[in-house]
Amino acid sequence: MPNIDMDAPGSNQLFIGNEAMARGALEAGIGFASAYPGTPSSEILGSLSEVAKKRDIYVEWSVNEKVAIEAGAAASFAGVRALVAMKMNGLNTVIDFLSTITLSGIGKKGIVVMVGDDPSAHSSSNETDSRPVSKWLDIPLVEPGDFQEAKDMMPFLYGISEEFGTISIMRSVTRIAHARGNIKLGEIPKIAHKARFEQYLDPAAPMPTPIMCVPSSFRHMFQHMRMDKVREKFESCSFNRYVGPDKPDLLIITAGSGWLYSQDAVNALKAENRIGILKLGTLWPLPEKLIKTHLSKADKVIFIEETDPFLEGVIMEYTAGFSPESKRNLFYGKHTRHLNSFGELTPDAVIKAITSVLDIKYAPRDAEYMKKVEAVPQGHVMDRLLTFCPGCPHRASFWAIKNALAMDGRNGFVTGDIGCYTMALGPAGFFQTRTHQCMGAGAGLANGFGQLSRFGFNQPVVSVVGDSTFYHSIIPALVNGVHNHSNFTLVILDNGATAMTGFQPHPGTELTAMGEPAAQISMENICRAIGARVEICDPFDLKDTTRTILDLVEQDQGARVAIMRRTCELVRQKKEKKPYKMQIDPDKCLGEDCGCNRLCTRVFRCPGLIWDAAAGKTRIDEVICTACGVCADICPEGAITKEAIA
Amino acid sequence: MVTKTKGIGDLFKEIIDKGLCTVCGACVGDCPYVVFYRGKIRMLDFCNRTEGHCYEYCPRTFTDLDAISNKIHGTSYTGDEIGTVKEVLMARAGDSKTRAKAQYGGTVSALLSLALDNGVIDAAILSKNTDDKLPSGFVARSSAQVLEGAGSNYMAYPALEALNGMPRDSKDRLGIVVTPCQAIALAKMKVSPPSQRVSMENVRLSIGLFCTWALAYDRFFEFIKNNVSPAKIKKFDIPPPPANRFDFYIGKEVESFPLDEIRNYRMSTCAYCLDMTAEFTDISVGSVEGIEGWNTVIVRTQQGMDIVEEAKKKGVLEIKELPAQNLVHLKDAALIKKARAVQAIVERTGDKNDLMYLGISDNLKGKLLSHRVTAQGGH
Repeated sequence: MPNIDMDAPGSNQLFIGNEAMARGALEAGIGFASAYPGTPSSEILGSLSEVAKKRDIYVEWSVNEKVAIEAGAAASFAGVRALVAMKMNGLNTVIDFLSTITLSGIGKKGIVVMVGDDPSAHSSSNETDSRPVSKWLDIPLVEPGDFQEAKDMMPFLYGISEEFGTISIMRSVTRIAHARGNIKLGEIPKIAHKARFEQYLDPAAPMPTPIMCVPSSFRHMFQHMRMDKVREKFESCSFNRYVGPDKPDLLIITAGSGWLYSQDAVNALKAENRIGILKLGTLWPLPEKLIKTHLSKADKVIFIEETDPFLEGVIMEYTAGFSPESKRNLFYGKHTRHLNSFGELTPDAVIKAITSVLDIKYAPRDAEYMKKVEAVPQGHVMDRLLTFCPGCPHRASFWAIKNALAMDGRNGFVTGDIGCYTMALGPAGFFQTRTHQCMGAGAGLANGFGQLSRFGFNQPVVSVVGDSTFYHSIIPALVNGVHNHSNFTLVILDNGATAMTGFQPHPGTELTAMGEPAAQISMENICRAIGARVEICDPFDLKDTTRTILDLVEQDQGARVAIMRRTCELVRQKKEKKPYKMQIDPDKCLGEDCGCNRLCTRVFRCPGLIWDAAAGKTRIDEVICTACGVCADICPEGAITKEAIA
Repeated sequence: MVTKTKGIGDLFKEIIDKGLCTVCGACVGDCPYVVFYRGKIRMLDFCNRTEGHCYEYCPRTFTDLDAISNKIHGTSYTGDEIGTVKEVLMARAGDSKTRAKAQYGGTVSALLSLALDNGVIDAAILSKNTDDKLPSGFVARSSAQVLEGAGSNYMAYPALEALNGMPRDSKDRLGIVVTPCQAIALAKMKVSPPSQRVSMENVRLSIGLFCTWALAYDRFFEFIKNNVSPAKIKKFDIPPPPANRFDFYIGKEVESFPLDEIRNYRMSTCAYCLDMTAEFTDISVGSVEGIEGWNTVIVRTQQGMDIVEEAKKKGVLEIKELPAQNLVHLKDAALIKKARAVQAIVERTGDKNDLMYLGISDNLKGKLLSHRVTAQGGH
């Protein structure tokens, strides 16, 4: 990972988009940064936390996005520039606060929300497009079209935020956030931040001046006036630019990664003299005049943008209000099905759309190309399952949950949540998870299922959440469940890490984002204080864990809690050696015979176990086996043995 | 009538999910996919095999009684009321302490203790209750342990799970106490021995218990919880007719319930069972109508004969002749169970040619279908 605060103005460095944004925030002179991790946004705060002490800024992994943005707003209110980072799911949870801070305005210093969208939902539960939020909540929004902009837009956006007194949003997508590109560094200012919350606008005023959103309609009007001024400013902003002929056959209007793909497409089609590209960086409010000027120069217009037809919709809406004398354009894009309004953009999709509109013949490769590509790795690359790591405690936890629910026999099921354990929808967790929504939803759903006995519902409900998720959004659901006597079991997989997003600290872990000792919040104390029965078990003790879950499930009354405590294997193996020597006795291994039929490699499916089809026996993959020892307890024949390493 | 051996999925689809499971335990304890929990057989995972011992040994999948009878008794299945018999007698344990712990005469405990002491067997598989009054199979290696298994609670339990749980390479010679359905499953295991389980040759002595029906643990335990304190129950008893009672011994008190009420908690599968006296065993033991503290004993094989002779010689058992009238009643009751079973099966299948699991001769089928059965009774 590069050093994002290197003192080398003018030099070119290779940064991923998220690092570029973090660097941009440093160059903007932020003093405060808060975030909840989530792909593709996590590296922003992660890289800032590495330099926080040196740069004398405060960096925090907050319990959730809502607290993160409110904490950031406080810094702004007290005169310190603040950055708040989250993924689009997080933005959804902070809408309520955004809807009031647009009315109240900010403090003397700016606040920027950096939101990472994930088109195609590579590592997300959905692919929501964040941009429309800016329109309905009246918030300036910019989107970088390359890595340099990812950095440069930050200081620019703080300028907007402060000049117009409004919170501002920078949106990026996975391909910008996680791809790597060259950026030319600027200077990081040395700022001695002074924080003070001024309660009187004028020291002589008779009354304090709270930062507030009432009277709301008046402030709503005021925000619209502010946005008009921002629009004026954006008309001449260099993040919006046009390349191409004066009168193109086709005008592409694009933003973000669409800018990169559009350039690739025009280049590949050698159509530089036919196609013009209007690349927009300030997406809300849109520079209407600039857009109108370019629309007047082309008959045909196509919109190239990730996910939703946002620019497409808004710009077509504008043109409806144009005078009858204005040029009438032919618009192409998602509404004409030339592009999809779901899934990620690709250069291929862009090329296909353009060739279709301009009726250009283009065959970049022969029809059999994909077949040939797929044939190349055959036999050289192992089939790999989407699964938990070898030695992951979650595999053991779900094994116990599976067996407990099967033994109970009442068709019990798991309501899932967001984390590595989301994979329990599939073979990794033996298909135990039956609902999958957003963070905290599994426990909320369990609350509802747990009230349905009056309508004949009699299935046990097990809500499975991670430790970070517990602090993030489960506590209110547990309070609700205990208070209303809802009937469900909450299982907290406590692996001591926010593992899926990269081991960020959470309220239960030892260190803060600054690397200082944290006040660790005990989840069992919280649950007990709420009034829930709490059992704690080690998932590697399958027998005890299964018995504990069964006992909780059979209680069939009230909200109760099982904490499955075992450190994430990826964390453990950084500190400790393998605990066991694992061996398989081929004479005892039954293989595919009746009495076993490959329980370990067919059902349990830890990647550390390999089925040797030729020998008809299971083997241990010495390279990746972490020697957790769980499979020794699963083998019905005792063929797998673990011997403690002294 | 299906003769094909199938897999675990079919076992659940055809037998367990249809309420035909006897909870004998033949499918449990051998593999990691099937477990017994609180009175029910549960599948933890699908084993994905199209053929399995679980299906093959189930007493409710196709059962060729001739094949079984030939294996155990060396003759085809006669259909006689109480099966193949060498001798019928009345017995009780010579030792009064054994009698005190036993359900009736203590004959089973006395015979197993003798077999262990004599070295005829090294271990005995019988049942005992857990704290929740749930009976489960266990392995006894001494007379003292045998007494822990004395007494009945009339609930179906998986005795064969304990047998399947024996190490594959175990050399222990085994005695086992079984109900009629368990005896049939055990006999099926002997006819077609499993390759991956303890050798069937190790099973040297099987003692059967008379049974008209068994109670389903899950439903009956609910009844117990709601009416009697489970932890305080010392003994369960169904006194011989005409008492028509079910007694819970709680300390020195006896709490009685009408037997008809308790019958509601029967295993539904028992209606299709034609064996009252555990015909495919070495020795069968039950109560004696009207004579308290004694057992009816049916000796069926030479092994059975040998151990009973030895018991008599050593005074381990006191032996008397079973009154002729008792034998007549016993046979009447056993025949009624047979006839009722076959008639219930035909009623279920709606086809006289479809006897579900039961492989018997047409001759016997005709006889049992035409036998007139009186009002419900038994136990």
